[in-house]
Amino acid sequence: MGVLILISQPLIYLIIRASEKSGTDVIALLTRQKTLEVLGLTLALLCIVVAVNVFLGTAIAAGLHYVRIPYPRALFVSTILPLAIPSYVFTYTWIALIPSLQGLWAAAFILVLSTMPYMLLAVSISFARIDSGLIEVARSLGLSKFAVFTRVILPQVRRSISAGALLSGLYVLSDFGAVSLLNVETLTVSIQNLFKSSYDRSAASVIGLLLFLAAAIFVSLESVLKGRDFESKSAEGFQERIRRVNNLPLSILTTAVLALYSLLAVVLPFYVLISRYLQNPSAVAISDLATAALSTISVAAMGAFIAFVLSLPLAFLATQGASAFTSVTEKVTLMAHALPGVVVGLALVSFGSRLGPLYQSIFLLAFAYAVLFLAKSVASTSAALSLVSPQLKEVAATLGKSKSRVTMQVVFPIALPNLALGVLLVFLTAMKELPATLMLRPTGMDTLATEIWSYAAISRFNEAAPYALLLVLIAAIPTFILTIPRTVQKETEKKVSNL
Amino acid sequence: MKKLLIGVGVIAGALVIGGAAWVGMGSNKATDEVKELTIYSGRSEEFIAPFFAEWEQESGIKLNIRYGDSAELAAQILEEGKNSPADLFLSQDAGSLGAVSAAGLFTKFPDSAANKIENKYIAGDRTWVGVTGRARVFAYRPGAVTTLPQSVADLTKPAYKDKVGIAPSNASFQAFVTALINEKGEKFAEQWLTGIKSNGAKIFLKNSAIVEAIDKGEIDLGLVNHYYTWEVSEALGRKIKVENGFFLPGDIGNLVNVSGIGALATSQKNDAAIDLINYLTSETTQIAFVEDTHEYSLISGVKSPEALPDLKSIGSPQVDLGALENVQRTQDLLIRVGLL
Amino acid sequence: MTSLSVSHLTVNFGSRTVISDLSIELRQGEIASLLGPSGCGKTTLLRAIAGLIQPASGAIRFGSQLVGVSSVVLPPHKRGTGYVPQQGALFPHLTVAKNIAFGLDKNTYTKSEIADITHEMIGLIGMKGMEDRLPSQLSGGQQTRVALARALAIKPKLILLDEPFSALDAVLRDELRTEVVGLLRELGSTAILVTHDREEALVSSDRVILMRDGKVAQNGTPEEVYEAPISPEIAASTGDVLILPAQQSGSGATFYPLSLEGAASVGSETGYVVIRPEEIRVSTSADMGVEGSLIHIDYYGHDAMLTVSVAQSSTPIKARVAGPADFTVGQKVFLQHLGPVRYFSRQ
Repeated sequence: MGVLILISQPLIYLIIRASEKSGTDVIALLTRQKTLEVLGLTLALLCIVVAVNVFLGTAIAAGLHYVRIPYPRALFVSTILPLAIPSYVFTYTWIALIPSLQGLWAAAFILVLSTMPYMLLAVSISFARIDSGLIEVARSLGLSKFAVFTRVILPQVRRSISAGALLSGLYVLSDFGAVSLLNVETLTVSIQNLFKSSYDRSAASVIGLLLFLAAAIFVSLESVLKGRDFESKSAEGFQERIRRVNNLPLSILTTAVLALYSLLAVVLPFYVLISRYLQNPSAVAISDLATAALSTISVAAMGAFIAFVLSLPLAFLATQGASAFTSVTEKVTLMAHALPGVVVGLALVSFGSRLGPLYQSIFLLAFAYAVLFLAKSVASTSAALSLVSPQLKEVAATLGKSKSRVTMQVVFPIALPNLALGVLLVFLTAMKELPATLMLRPTGMDTLATEIWSYAAISRFNEAAPYALLLVLIAAIPTFILTIPRTVQKETEKKVSNL
Repeated sequence: MKKLLIGVGVIAGALVIGGAAWVGMGSNKATDEVKELTIYSGRSEEFIAPFFAEWEQESGIKLNIRYGDSAELAAQILEEGKNSPADLFLSQDAGSLGAVSAAGLFTKFPDSAANKIENKYIAGDRTWVGVTGRARVFAYRPGAVTTLPQSVADLTKPAYKDKVGIAPSNASFQAFVTALINEKGEKFAEQWLTGIKSNGAKIFLKNSAIVEAIDKGEIDLGLVNHYYTWEVSEALGRKIKVENGFFLPGDIGNLVNVSGIGALATSQKNDAAIDLINYLTSETTQIAFVEDTHEYSLISGVKSPEALPDLKSIGSPQVDLGALENVQRTQDLLIRVGLL
Repeated sequence: MTSLSVSHLTVNFGSRTVISDLSIELRQGEIASLLGPSGCGKTTLLRAIAGLIQPASGAIRFGSQLVGVSSVVLPPHKRGTGYVPQQGALFPHLTVAKNIAFGLDKNTYTKSEIADITHEMIGLIGMKGMEDRLPSQLSGGQQTRVALARALAIKPKLILLDEPFSALDAVLRDELRTEVVGLLRELGSTAILVTHDREEALVSSDRVILMRDGKVAQNGTPEEVYEAPISPEIAASTGDVLILPAQQSGSGATFYPLSLEGAASVGSETGYVVIRPEEIRVSTSADMGVEGSLIHIDYYGHDAMLTVSVAQSSTPIKARVAGPADFTVGQKVFLQHLGPVRYFSRQ
């Protein structure tokens, strides 16, 4: 409950600020043509990106898994690597390549490239968990390979597809970097504009609530999309038994699509950053880079840690059976994910400036990260905890262990590898965060993201490049770890299911 | 397992200690002798940091500088209210200063401070002072525009249909519209805005994007600040086909807005703050500003940037910059006509 | 070890009653089997005794100590039951030794005592040298042993085994069961073994508790429940049965297809007679019993089940004979019922 109050700070802030406007003003603001245009544009962008992700993403993930391709592992890693690139850096590099890039379709293109990894990760993991026995049974029952895919495999990964759609959709709703650089006024940009050009925090808050509402509708649509909850049997030793489709045209097509995606989303941004950096390699002092990197890592790590701690009670509740309270909490947490960093930042400025020395301390910034990315943390923490079989907890109880000791001695050690992955995901995202970082960082502290911003704001891209390059390289490490086949996880699962 | 827990503990401990260090740095209790000053700077580190460093040397006072976007920093100060840790706010534009001033968060500074700056560029209530000047101009591509506009009012004419770029969300454009409202009335401003919108003006988020678009030939001219031609040219690393043009002297389109600085009322370190303000408005510093940033000095007699006409000859309209704080009304108007 | 008393226990899952008004008593050192079909409440009863679920009403006592009523008196971790759940549930992150030592409280035992007990337990289950293995490196049987050792190590008041052998193959299951039961007897453990294997229930326990729909259907020694079932249904749950229509006359004579008096006339049956297939003697000589025709042989090696059709019965008769059987299908045989006549009148 306390956690819920803490994380709903931004929402409370929005409601308080929005209520400063009179009812008629609010209605006038919401119904003016501009608001409707912005809302329409936001929804159009959301639909395009989510639809492309759902179809193309699922197809790509299926190709990665079921079609014979050269170096499947390397190709997989290269499709996930774009996670390491913040959307503003991504967009800068693309604008450097194609200066005329702007508008809805450009934004959709950039956002598809940068959100695809969420889809691929979610779907790939569940492809990997499908029992290949089911596939064999289906084949023996006379289904063609294609029919097996549509009738046996797809229904089982449906939940993951919808989870990927949810993540990428919320990303689109909350993204500011790409859309603002590409001159597309979505709700997020609109909020920022209202804050920036008029100091009209109330109007911005009204639009903020509209964005929150859009996220709410989207989140509930997702619950419909994901369909009925059923337990899918998980596989053991799937990789040895998976038979990849050996069809030359299909292999060539799959490889080409994967290579094209990697080229657009990884190789080109890297190429731009490196060539920009090489244009003037001595523009930035190594010590400045190192300081910024160190601050980035430490504050992001703290944020990830706080998010983890905050997510524990929620995740525990979520694994103890779905009460109405937990499902509401989960949904609110998810929707909060769509709030742009500037809203969370201002809410925490308003709340944090009363905290004396804590204000503009590394702690408050870390806390802001925790609030921003709690949804990610809750999702992965509850997934990790739910993998620990209730039977083990019961046995431990009969062996004389109180609930807290069961948690410490049984649940945590078993869930640890997956809990760590969740922390890593938040760490990765926090490193890339910009708007809240700008407002809440300790005065005088520079992170990689703020340095990129300060150089890019005055169009000094050559100086921004080394920071961006370093950020991407550091972020690539946890991203890479996320793509490692979950041997630890699979082992744990296997052991549990073998017992 | 145990090792891992210990490891996690050690890391968490290290983070807490590291964090505590930041907390320590952030706090600056008022003492008899001022050792530190916290300044929120809307001006980029790149341009202003050397000046701050020089003042630190001279005064022996350490500056904690928080760089950010002027408007966001203003919003932040407004949110912080009386809890703001800032002593000074250096803003890119008068609008942000006006917003903070209107909330009563600035202190008045004495007549002796910033005494070289022309009164025109100091807030009427002396809550903030201009530091550098930035002239509104129309940037254009020579050759593309046959007849140069003589007044902003010309831009709503068919001759400029689909050729003009504006950045309504940009603070400097809004300051200009505010001036337009204040000088010519809201009705006139609304007509002008509606006119320019229906004349097919292209909307940009940034001034530099307008200049780039002119260079690329997407539009022929745009309303920007004078220094963007150099900034874009430097960023692109080449000469661009864009020049600055001024309307007839006295036209509202020639508004000279300022970057400026104010001291927060909650600060206990006004003497040190005023010392810094005096440093920034001294003749030597002003000359250096002009060379570095291509902005205008606000002291009469200091040379204007590059080949531009001097501040007096532009004939900047008689506008009370202090009144540009009323951006709320501007905002409402922009929203009403559908430009925001 | 202690005695166990469960009285008037009722457990509800939501609106569904899983156990209703159930009472059982176990003497100290007694091993009881809980036998019944899936969903009859066996595991639920076990979990209620362990304190893992909360009963709606009733009381559970270990010896004279009240451990559970509708408001749980003692939480599971204070009951001291050695619980061996289905398929063992070893902690995957702990070695064999650490699994066994898991329940040994560091405040109660010294380090060396813990080591001693662990060592002793490993010896008891015959797994010396495997102390440092992880559960994933053990066979199914070994995992069950470790789970048992882990339960025994805490010197429990009561051992609760929930189908511990179900995941094992037949041979291993028999061996391990003999071993485990031997061990429990040696230690004088009071134990409850949940099973749906009727042979397992009969062979390993002092008492068989037959459960139906959350109630005790019959409770007695293995011999009692096998030989004197209280209903045809119960008879079927402890072994193969033959249920034949019968009529009991006023004088007490019972007429059924294999009786010497001959079968009851059609339409006059008042009940059933329950016969175990091994109680029927099959011979080929004409002077003994009811004549029939052998229609099917199921050969099991150590014995064989014969299916015989007789004129007196519409259902074929099944008879167990010691193998190797020298019978052939189609042969004329004579059946004689040698066991007790268990008559149940029709309700």
